[in-house]
Amino acid sequence: MSNINNKKPLTELTDKLHDLKDEFGNRIEDSKFDSWLQTIKEDVGDNIEMFARKARGVFNPNLVDMQLEDIQSLILRERPSPYFGTVIAVKVNNAAVGRQMLAQVLPDVTGSKEWHKDMQATLSIVMTYEGLEALGVPQSSLESFPDSFKAGMANRADKLRDTDVNDPENWMAPFGDKGDIHVCAAIIADSKEKWQAKLAELKENMQTHIDYEHPANGDIEILMEHDFGSDNNVKNVFGYRDGISNPEIKGSGIQTPPSRDGEPIAAGEFVLGYEGEAGTIPPMPQPEVLGKNGSFMVLRAYNSHVAAFNKFRKDSTDSEEEAELLGAKMWGRWRSGAPLALSPDHDDEALGDDASRNNDFGYKDDPYGKKCPFGAHARRMNPRDSKDFILSDVRIHRIVRRSVGFGEVLPPDVTEDDGKERGLFFIGINAHAMETVEFLQSQWINDGNFMSLGEEKDPMIGLHHSNKNSDANTFTVPDDPIRKRYHGIETFNTLYGGEYLFIPSLSALKWISQLS
Amino acid sequence: MHTTENKERIIDNSEDLKTKITESIDAFKLRAELLMANIKEGGDDSYDHSTTNAGEKGLKSGKVSELTVIAPLKEGGAERLKEILKIAGGNLKGATRVGTLHDLRFAFLDNDTRVLFCTAYDGDWDPYIDDFATKIPELMDILFGSVEGWPGIKDPSVKQFILDHQITAAAWYVGVPHLTIQDIRRQDRIVKGINKALDDAQS
Repeated sequence: MSNINNKKPLTELTDKLHDLKDEFGNRIEDSKFDSWLQTIKEDVGDNIEMFARKARGVFNPNLVDMQLEDIQSLILRERPSPYFGTVIAVKVNNAAVGRQMLAQVLPDVTGSKEWHKDMQATLSIVMTYEGLEALGVPQSSLESFPDSFKAGMANRADKLRDTDVNDPENWMAPFGDKGDIHVCAAIIADSKEKWQAKLAELKENMQTHIDYEHPANGDIEILMEHDFGSDNNVKNVFGYRDGISNPEIKGSGIQTPPSRDGEPIAAGEFVLGYEGEAGTIPPMPQPEVLGKNGSFMVLRAYNSHVAAFNKFRKDSTDSEEEAELLGAKMWGRWRSGAPLALSPDHDDEALGDDASRNNDFGYKDDPYGKKCPFGAHARRMNPRDSKDFILSDVRIHRIVRRSVGFGEVLPPDVTEDDGKERGLFFIGINAHAMETVEFLQSQWINDGNFMSLGEEKDPMIGLHHSNKNSDANTFTVPDDPIRKRYHGIETFNTLYGGEYLFIPSLSALKWISQLS
Repeated sequence: MHTTENKERIIDNSEDLKTKITESIDAFKLRAELLMANIKEGGDDSYDHSTTNAGEKGLKSGKVSELTVIAPLKEGGAERLKEILKIAGGNLKGATRVGTLHDLRFAFLDNDTRVLFCTAYDGDWDPYIDDFATKIPELMDILFGSVEGWPGIKDPSVKQFILDHQITAAAWYVGVPHLTIQDIRRQDRIVKGINKALDDAQS
């Protein structure tokens, strides 16, 4: 498409649209594609370049090289917008009943194949190592899981730099040692009705196995039930558009909006049983039916201290405008989602809203971080084409993000905590998610050496101590003529729990449900 | 325990006790000597030089860790490796690119049948092993391919292979333990910049 001139007569464009429909959608049968095409046509007018950009984000069946029908939809599929959901954490006290439940709900677990069609309420099922054990997965299979997964997140606190306020000692039930999470089931739907109907159905299925008087005596225990969702899922509780950038996975057929990520990333980085970036198939849990088409999920539950963040911005600056700029420098994007790399001086809502442009940038023309600081959260988590001070391969540290927020956004001028709960369930998915998140936590979040920033940490999700004399609690903003430094950062997101979870394929779930 | 038994035990162990006392007196003497020598001849730079573990094996002082490996070589491996190192002539561009290496050395032991590899590096080596596998696989395999049993940098067992041959150093001293290679490079640029600005102002 790159050789097409920018402006073309409308008729030619229409022809091109039909060509593209063939190219992208010759095997797409649903009506959604046509309505999508119609919207795009209205949107882009006669600008063919714009069309080419928007044509991405489409499912192209010709590019599929994975067993989509067997891969749980949450791995490859964006959640709907708006979305409504509930996550239920369960402990299995009776293996046979647990397996029976699994068999019962299996038809509701959706694969990734029909991702582009109107979705029904979907159920996602993930489990901890203890969960696999409780369901009676044989010892030889249990042993084939990675050591970090076997240990569980709480026991990997040193690798994750989860100390002080983030120490598992301080977590809330049922996370880590404060409970025994075995299985998590999440329902997500695009309407309130579908969500509630599916949730009611699931709970009815579970009812007979639960002892409401003495939960520990039941065959199944519900340890936690948490609703999430949003009419406006684009903003996190700090008031910033989040979750914009996700990697494009080779062989999934799912094309992400334009970015400068280059070639899609090898499937094996995100789904077990496929070649990774190194060109080899990494080891996976055995037997193959258990491992293949599965993946791992890292769940981290954060309480967000938005008032403290607002207060820090206010106290560190002389005007509201400057405080807004500091916030954007810390995140790497403005509230609208507009990246600093493209709009360094002010927010640009049209840019932030435009999926065809808001992720289409690199840092090549910002070599000193004067637009987007090296230490900004977004630049740390995805350095894109920044110079690598320490040899690292950005492509093997990417993660599929499916985070969900809870609680209300706190307005920018509120600097006193209102006592209400708000925060984020960080959900990161990757075929070696434990390794990836341990790498991110220790190298890219709680250290600065990889960006030649000394001891500086991620200003938004790093572990800080609001110590004005500590380099680690400092945030450096390159500027002309000289850089500015902001001191005394505190932990704006404190961890209150988390788990390492396995995302079995549909055939693995079936295999587990049929164990005896 | 009865007192008689206790007494017998003390008598039984009297030789042992004597040795222990002598040993601890020796240790005390050594400690005193070191203390005196430190006072007379040592210096203090106010940096914290104490060591901690760098992971499963290896020592760390401040931000700088040591990796010491002794491994058997393949038949003809020493010649091959020597040739490679000769061609490089100290200019190991891959090592520069890694960005965390303070130094590294190879030495051949036991009639060229084994190799000693030592390096001082910042932080941890294992988080980056996968990056080596996708970014500099050829350099890694050329350098270590002469080692008997080297599984290849892309093999999942490579971390364990290195650990199996790693020896934790008995002592580890780093001159400037709180500065990484990145810190040193950055500070070097800053000093040069300041000196240039001062020179410009004075000329």
